[in-house]
Order: sequence, then structure tokens, then C-alpha cells
Amino acid sequence: MSRRLLGLTLVFPALAVIAFLFILPLIMSAVGAFQVDGAFGWGNFQKMFDLYTKDIVFTVVIISISTVLIGIASIAIGGYLTLGEHPVAVAILRWLYRWPMFIPFIVVGQILRTFLSKNGMMNNVAINLGLLTPIDAVSFLDWRGIVIAFVWKQTPFVALLVAGAMASINRETIDAARNLGASRLRVLIEIVVPQVGTTLTVGLILSFVTMMSVLSVPLMINAQTPTMLTADIAFRVNSYGDYGVANALGLISLLLASSVAWIYLRASLKERS
Amino acid sequence: MERDGFLELRGVASRYGSTQVLSDIDLSIAKGEFVALLGSSGCGKTTLLRLLAGFISPSSGEVKVRHRDVTHLPPDKRGMALVFQSYALWPHMTVAQNIGYGLKLKGVARAEIASRVSAMQAMLGLEGLEARKPQALSGGQRQRVALGRALAIDPEILLLDEPLSNLDARIRLSVRHELRALQKRLGITAIHVTHDREEAMVMADRIVILNAGRIAQHGSPEEVYNRPASAFVAAFMGAENVLSLNGHPDGDAFMLQAGPANEATTVQLAGRHLLPGAVEARFRPEAAHLFAKEEFLPRRPGVAFRGEVLAVAYPGGHWRHVVRLGDREIMADAPQAFSPGMRVAVHVPAESLFLFNSPTS
Repeated sequence: MSRRLLGLTLVFPALAVIAFLFILPLIMSAVGAFQVDGAFGWGNFQKMFDLYTKDIVFTVVIISISTVLIGIASIAIGGYLTLGEHPVAVAILRWLYRWPMFIPFIVVGQILRTFLSKNGMMNNVAINLGLLTPIDAVSFLDWRGIVIAFVWKQTPFVALLVAGAMASINRETIDAARNLGASRLRVLIEIVVPQVGTTLTVGLILSFVTMMSVLSVPLMINAQTPTMLTADIAFRVNSYGDYGVANALGLISLLLASSVAWIYLRASLKERS
Repeated sequence: MERDGFLELRGVASRYGSTQVLSDIDLSIAKGEFVALLGSSGCGKTTLLRLLAGFISPSSGEVKVRHRDVTHLPPDKRGMALVFQSYALWPHMTVAQNIGYGLKLKGVARAEIASRVSAMQAMLGLEGLEARKPQALSGGQRQRVALGRALAIDPEILLLDEPLSNLDARIRLSVRHELRALQKRLGITAIHVTHDREEAMVMADRIVILNAGRIAQHGSPEEVYNRPASAFVAAFMGAENVLSLNGHPDGDAFMLQAGPANEATTVQLAGRHLLPGAVEARFRPEAAHLFAKEEFLPRRPGVAFRGEVLAVAYPGGHWRHVVRLGDREIMADAPQAFSPGMRVAVHVPAESLFLFNSPTS
């Protein structure tokens, strides 16, 4: 009995931190989403859908495109690290690909702002190389900029997980496919990727959830509408003090994130059974 | 060994960094032959197999199949299929997909793949398992799927990398015979890497013994067993008892001088080449015969030693004795037990006594 008590005492501080700093605010904000002028109702959601339906779709589309591109890029990087036959190129890639992980989102936004703008470095280089006339130069500081920022920042993280998983699969399964005549691309797609599917999914889901919560990138790169939900939440709170609609938007973000987590849970349960 | 080879290796060498893994490998293998590459771990046998398969390029030398140079061809252009030690089945594919993958890569029509896969399953006793994943198979079944996957593409040469080492001891014995029977029935050329002497003896037409990256000897199982070319091969093939003797050749015979445990005697050279001086005598425990008194020694060619029994144990079928001969201890088997402390005479028949010039002489 006293041992049980001791155990509970030991867990209590951690439990209290989670309960008071995480679960309680979450519940409060969820409840707050349904409160209009002290009474319960759907008013906040009505307002939210009137004002921000486009932004919800925009957010889902942007993050989905980014997730797909991150998946492709990290498979390509992991695949080259695993199957590449040029040791120097593999070593360079291994050294290089992790760097963006250590750069904060706000700095990524800053860098890409100067790189992607109408007279930014990308267009300047293209113009100097004669690939583009100055008149055709366009700014990428819109949805494309956000996608580029997300992919650039999140690919290393997923690639790190995927490359680790690829390195730990049985090399002989790769040799066996090559022995039967599979090209390296087929080995990657048909032999290697299916064996790291779970890791890839976990990485992409974590990435998806991270991107759902990034505020700096849409603020820095996409100063126009439609924009992402995080920017809308900040705007509702900072400019109007409208916590009701902000909470409703937050709840939608949570639903989006947890739906992805649910897909993952279902897939992993299926795999186990 | 200059027969017209179907698969030929000439002067093959391989280095890994600064380590010479293989050197001067010359080998000629006939069509339909079953060759075992035998050696202890680290002798280069798996490297040689991977080199044949095309996963590594030799640092020098050439590999030819039907007089065609395949030294630098990719793995799939050599007409060889490899069965891996770990089986390397693809865990995300079913048995049927595993077996049919090679055919799918060759662009064979789907219906044709299905019929070839089911024929392969029938041949290997895998009927009804086509929808299973490898995790749901027993070790023996996995091994057969790995074999089926290799055989499905109809290779001319089957490479086997210790395919039996992950099986239970009892299954292994029956799989040896099944694999050998299958190889004979298909008439396929097989190269089998193993560190198991008995497995090589039972399965192979010819055994190639590798030592430190070189071919120590090759020949039929009885040749390497009964006429080992070097002290290494003799020891590897089970002649672990070793005695140091002195002698000199005299015509067709070799005169052994009296030593601490033996009288002077002669043995026939029988084609062996020995220089005068110190020789290393090797024999198997089962080749030695124990006698309680020297008068009982048989009158057949051989060498007799005087010794004392130190220990006796019963490993099954016969009694195994540790006997001290002079300053050496040897093992000798006998149908009945001699108790420790007994003085015995040990007789080794001439044909079972392997003599080699000692490296120092």
C-alpha cells in the first residue's frame, strides 16, 4: 500500500504538469470554441466557416502537397544513401542533407523571402544565365513559397528517419533483387520502400503535425489571403481579441492533425494483426 | 584440372582495402557439377561466391561462363542465381510474389508467372502457401521459398551461400539430400559455400578447400579425405592428431626414425613427395587402433606407438581415449574402453597416416 502511494507521489508532479499546463488549457479552449457571449452555441464555428473556409482548404492542400513532396524527397535521399555506388557522392550527401534541420522556421522564412521574391536571388541568377527575361520574373512568395519552405525544412528530418530505417534492413534483400535483375530504382520502390513504410509514415505524420503549427512561414512568405490557419488564429487573437473564433480554428487544426494520427494508428494496428 | 570448363576462374584475386581476401584462384567447373567451397570463417569462400554472383569485382583475373567473359557483367546478366544465407526473402511480399519476382522483372506475362510459380511450389512442396508472408513460414519453408525464387528464373548456375546453416540440425540432414537430388534432377551447376565438412562431403561431386584466400586442395570427397595435400587440409578434414617424427625417403618408402613413442619403421610413399628431415604425422581418432599389449599388434603396414591412457569418454558408438604418446597427447577411438593409467599400443595404418614435411624443415 505504502509502495503504491510512493509510486503515485513520484508520478504526481509530472501528472500535474500535464494536467494543468496541457490538458486543462486544451479543454478550456475547446469549451471556449462553443461559447458566444457567455452562452453555448455554434456561433464561433458559423463565423469561422464564413470567414475562413478557403483558408482551411488552403491549409489542407498546402500541407498535403508538402507532405507528398517531403515523402518523395526523403525517399530519394535515403535511397541514394543506401543504394548509391559513388562513395564520395554518398558521403557529401550524408554530410549535407541534415543542415536545414538545425535552422529555425523563422530563419527559413527569412532566407526564402530574399531568395524567392520577384527580384530575389533565384530570379537574378536565372536572368543572368539568360534563362529568364526580367519582365517574366515572378515572385514565388505565395503558396509555392510556403511549400518550398516546408519541404526544405522538413525533408531532412524525415530523410534522417527513413535513411536510418533503410540502413537497418537486411542488405541481402537488396542483393537478392539485384541478383534477379532489378534496377536500382525498382529495388528502391519495390524492395526498400515497402520495408520502411512504417517509419516513413511516422516521419510524414510528425512532419504534417509540425507544419500545421508553423506560424512564421506563412506570415513571412505569404502576406495575403488565403493563408494558413495559424496566421488566422494569431490574427483573431492579436487584432480582435476574438478568442472564440480562434478557439474554433484551433479545434479544426486539432481535428486535422488527429485525423492523420488516426490513419497512422489504424495502419499500424492492421500491420500487427 | 584442365578440363574444358563450363564455369572458369583464372587467376582471380580480390582485395578489401589493403587486405588480400582472395588470391590466385584457378578453378574450372563442369556443367551439372556440384562443387562445395569449404573453409573456415574468414577464408574468403563467401567473397568468392559474391564475386561469382557479380556483387564484387575481382581486383585481377577473370570469370568465364561458356568461354564468355562475365567478369564485369552485372549480377543479372550472368545466368546465376544466389540463395542467401539469411534467405533474404522480401517480408512485404507473399510466397508467390517472392518466387515470381524474378519473372516479373523479366517481363514475363502474368498468367505465365502464375503457372511457373505454382509449378515451382509443387516441386518444392510449398503448395497452399502462396498467400503467406515469409514471417508466417517455418525455417525449412523459408529456405525452400528462397530456393524457389532462385530457380524460378531458370539459371544455369545456382550459387548457395550456406543455405542450410539456419536450419535445425535434424531438418538439415534431410534437406542436404533433397537439395542434392533436386540439383541432379534439374542438371543445374551448383556452387555451395559451407564450413561444414560433412555437408560438403555428402552433397558435392567435388570439394574445393580454401585457406586464407587460396585454394588449398580440390578434388572428390574421397580424394580430399584420404589424400590431403597439406597439413592444413588434413587437419581441416578431421586429422587433428599430430605427432612430430623424423625420417628420410628411401626408394618407394619413407624411413621413420625411432622417436620417444615409436620404433623405427617404414611406410610406403605411395606417390607422396617428402624431403628428409622432420615430418608432421597426422591421423584421425577413428583411424587409430588401441591394443593392450604390443604382441597383439596387427601385421599390416602402419606405425605403432607406445602410450598411456589419460582419459576415456563415450561420445556414442565407440569409446574415445586421450592417450599420451611421448610428450604429445592424441585422441584414439576403440570399440571397448581402456581405463586411464593403462599402458597401450596405438596402431595407425599406413594409408591413414598423413605425413607432411614440417614447415620449419
